[in-house]
Amino acid sequence: MTWTDVLTFARGPLFQASLLIFIAGMIYRLVRVIFLGWSPDKVKNKGSKAGGVVMAYLKSFLIWPFIPWVKNTFKKNPLIYIAGGIFHLGLFVVLVLGTAHMLVWKSLLGFGWSTLPLPIVDWMAAVTICAMVVLFINRLINPVLKLISGPAEWLNLLFVFLPMITGYILTHHLFFRYEVSYSIHMLCVDFLLIWIPFSRISHFIFYFFSKTIHGEEFGKRGVKA
Amino acid sequence: MTTVTKQAMDVFVEETGGWVASQLEACTRCGMCAEACHFYQSSGNPEYAPVWKIELLRRAYEQRFTLVGKVKTLLGVNKRVTDEDLEHWSKLNYYACTVCNKCSMVCPMGIDLGSLLHEVRAGMAAAGLVPADLMAAVNKQLQEGSPLGMTEDVWDQRMEWVADEWEVDIPRDVKGADTMVVFSSIEVMKFPTNIAAIAKVLNTAGEKWTISSKAREVVNFGFYEGNVEHTKLFINRILEGARELGVKRIVVTECGHAYDALRWHAANWIPEANDFEVIHITGVLGELVESGRIKLKPGFFDGKGTITFHDACKIQRKGGHINEPREILKIIAPNAFKEMSPNREQSVCCGGGGGVIAIKDADPIRYDAFKLKIDQVNAVGAETVTMTCSNCRLQFTDCVDHFKLDWKITGLAQMVADALEE
Repeated sequence: MTWTDVLTFARGPLFQASLLIFIAGMIYRLVRVIFLGWSPDKVKNKGSKAGGVVMAYLKSFLIWPFIPWVKNTFKKNPLIYIAGGIFHLGLFVVLVLGTAHMLVWKSLLGFGWSTLPLPIVDWMAAVTICAMVVLFINRLINPVLKLISGPAEWLNLLFVFLPMITGYILTHHLFFRYEVSYSIHMLCVDFLLIWIPFSRISHFIFYFFSKTIHGEEFGKRGVKA
Repeated sequence: MTTVTKQAMDVFVEETGGWVASQLEACTRCGMCAEACHFYQSSGNPEYAPVWKIELLRRAYEQRFTLVGKVKTLLGVNKRVTDEDLEHWSKLNYYACTVCNKCSMVCPMGIDLGSLLHEVRAGMAAAGLVPADLMAAVNKQLQEGSPLGMTEDVWDQRMEWVADEWEVDIPRDVKGADTMVVFSSIEVMKFPTNIAAIAKVLNTAGEKWTISSKAREVVNFGFYEGNVEHTKLFINRILEGARELGVKRIVVTECGHAYDALRWHAANWIPEANDFEVIHITGVLGELVESGRIKLKPGFFDGKGTITFHDACKIQRKGGHINEPREILKIIAPNAFKEMSPNREQSVCCGGGGGVIAIKDADPIRYDAFKLKIDQVNAVGAETVTMTCSNCRLQFTDCVDHFKLDWKITGLAQMVADALEE
């Protein structure tokens, strides 16, 4: 078995199996929560629920994150706000606006899109890796995070970090030859895909529940969310 | 699992529908909620982090509902919830939380921690783990109609006395009135000038209002307890009074939690609550000023030192009456009024709400939390602090005494009554 074999397997059948487990797992998580039942809200609105929801989304990831000083969260803890924000932005830039990954999406969806030049994406990846290190150190020393973090939190950090760092190594042709680097990157990615439905990384889906609820709760009271 | 633990866990599980589950799933353990919590900020105790306060609810959810949780149970690696855990967490949830909901505003996922905390309190109530002081107050309200010793006779006498002493008309049990006003026993027993003030304002505005001998108490200790049956019982007393008098609207006077329960939750427990419009007195004052039904003497409070406004968590942040106090203060104290920072929906809780001030053992924690308010008021150089909640007023007056401060504490309704053009 050569590294080329490993690579063919990791980016081929294993990747497809991982994607399947990822999608099936996320659907299971969603369905299990949705089917727990929802009661209608009979309380009369003062303000607009829909308006509250729109504002909540605008403020949380569409516009306000880019003008952070208006947010109380930022004032309380600017370092972590920025580190967390850069981490998420970096993930988006690398996974959606980076050519290497856009081509993967193209092979899955049948269409692609324009992407950012590699130097920018690469710089963003480096900054994201630094942000992850900052978040890791914070989780080690912050008293609240020390209390609430269990094995799951550390593993989540590690399993997201690995694809980032191996991707960076692959892009810069460091240490290993192409087939080895790429195989390791793909194995890390495949593992992450399988891990996500069993972990809190699934928050990217439940975000839409909690943010919508939040927008409604404050919108109906006529308070800025 | 003992009976106590089982009772609590059963309630946690029962309360977990999609609304609770999706939010428990959304938490990423980022710890931002702690940064917003005045109890954590003032004490540095990481157990006061809101995410930690609801940990037992999350564990119940994980162990009973999730695949990962069930596998962990099979493998024997789960942290089983014990009676000791519940007793410990009871203190965290009742002593060190005022349900101010600042954590909900700061959570990047938008999780409604305040409501989740209420679910934890429901479990605690079912397991009989409510702090003794708080439970005593609940029982008093069940038996006498009020937690503060305001029996029907005492209420009767106080109302007569206020009407007499301050020479105001307080219409009682008027059938067919438009508005039924329900005072809090905090005002009746501790800040009776508030009753006179509100009566004066409503009479000057020509409002067709009444108080009700059935609906004597607006404070809701069942809500603090987290017991839905008790909460509903106390709300039903108010609704019965309103129904009997045929009023269209119920006015909650200067109390925060009472307003939250009656305006923003009641209809989901008792659909008939929607038969009436429910509004806080702050909203009424705003309406009366805006419509010109009452006129205020401009600058009445200027020249007597800086005045600042304390936003009450359940009337401003979770009540929506944020602009009315500012509109009023701009008229009656255009130069004297200075905003604290942060303010409006981002304001800092007084530390006394949610039942905390009723629990003697929580006093040290409560006083610690108030230090944040002291810093805020001093930063703006205020000599007078005004507010729209009499529980906050209780906390402020108690802390002014405890910390030997020289502030004047008042209420917005009082200021409006004083500045009224008659």
